[in-house]
Amino acid sequence: MFEQGMYELLAKGIVESLYMTVSSTLFAYIFGLPLGVLLCVTDSGGIFPIPIINKVFGFLINLLRSVPFLILLVFILPFTRMIIGTTIGSTATIVPLVVASTPFVARMVESSLKEVGSGVIEAAQSMGSSVFQIIYKVLIPEAKPSLLIGGAIAITTILGYSAMAGFVGGGGLGAIAVNYGYYRYQQNVMTVTVLLLVIVVQVFQEVGTRVARLSDKRAN
Amino acid sequence: MKKIITILISITLIAVLFTGCNKPEENTIKIGASITPHSEILEVAKEILSTQGYTLDIVEYNDYVLPNTATQDGELHANYFQHLPYLTNFNDENDTHLVPVATIHYEPFGIYAGKTKSIDELADGATIAVPNDGTNEARALLLLEVQGLITLREGAKFTATILDIESNPKNLNIKEIEAAQLVRALEDVDLAVINGNYALAAGLNVGVDALAVEDKDSDAAQTYANIVVVKEGNEQTEEIKALVKALQSEEIKNFINEKYNGAVIPTF
Repeated sequence: MFEQGMYELLAKGIVESLYMTVSSTLFAYIFGLPLGVLLCVTDSGGIFPIPIINKVFGFLINLLRSVPFLILLVFILPFTRMIIGTTIGSTATIVPLVVASTPFVARMVESSLKEVGSGVIEAAQSMGSSVFQIIYKVLIPEAKPSLLIGGAIAITTILGYSAMAGFVGGGGLGAIAVNYGYYRYQQNVMTVTVLLLVIVVQVFQEVGTRVARLSDKRAN
Repeated sequence: MKKIITILISITLIAVLFTGCNKPEENTIKIGASITPHSEILEVAKEILSTQGYTLDIVEYNDYVLPNTATQDGELHANYFQHLPYLTNFNDENDTHLVPVATIHYEPFGIYAGKTKSIDELADGATIAVPNDGTNEARALLLLEVQGLITLREGAKFTATILDIESNPKNLNIKEIEAAQLVRALEDVDLAVINGNYALAAGLNVGVDALAVEDKDSDAAQTYANIVVVKEGNEQTEEIKALVKALQSEEIKNFINEKYNGAVIPTF
């Protein structure tokens, strides 16, 4: 079906795509989860309102979210080089992916946490729980199913962003689709890469939804 | 109403008839061209032609379709912006009958130093960046082949991709990157093969900075040389012959070499 070497290229593409997507999602949550919690608790109606902090971080997040990924990718190249030591390759693409998706993840986390009913929070407060106790023992456990569904959405979005990695030699399925499917009119390559991406997204989504359902104590 | 239209048309026709008499049409050559370097080169040709009694009227285009359709329609006598593969494809797709009359220049690819300062110092497993699209990647790989760094599968030529690399004795890691991004990636790779225009835009000078450049006699230079194109049947008119002669003169050659420092190379 393909010219020689294309199978290896596609196999490498899948590995690169998964590498970029999974590690970026991991880092995006390492930074985004605390940020989302911060946004939720410091909100004027939150459990520890500090409006000024909330405004500043909210503004920074909006600022980052307004930059299109391709522009961000090129714009922060010097920063990427500072951290990774190079601007090309899959690992170098993780930096802009994390920068672009952390604010997105923070907003997802914030909205998940805000879904937690005020009743449980008030109950915890009346029992004398500290702010940290409420976060660890009430907010996060209560919001877990919603957080996991958010995680599935985030990883899918990040996979979409990673398709632009080809611009800086990051590889992955997106780069194969652009370099061979688009630039060289190899329709079969285009079709196969798109199909592979669809499968990957379906798997992420399905796993995310199932884990979320299992973790939902209301359903069990 | 009909009468008014008839009168108007008559007036227009008469006007055209008279102006037609006054205008030395046969001595004016109208040519469509891209701005850099085509139009700049034509400005010099304009001076040469004016001493021979010809007026060269240069029409600048940012677009790659209009100059061809205008030449086909007879609005332009000639155009100068494209290379032969583009023209062949354009003729096929638009059913136009345009033919090349002369090749003038090409804009060479160059190999530029990144972390490694010369081609000889290239270590085993070094990284080389090349453009990721169609002919650009092929031209880059062909240049690497000429330098003896890789060999390509026979027949791959201008459709070559990294999949066509047959032998790679130094185990070079060849990275496909967006052409516009290559100069920025230079400090992260050992070498990069970069298009003339992107190198120029980033302040690199092909003549001075490149470690190796596409040779004038290479297939790439011959195939991707920029050509003067006319409508079929007009190849032998006095105007076109004068234009070609002026464009392929020593004067133009010197101008190109001095002005572009190797970023543009005359093919004649």
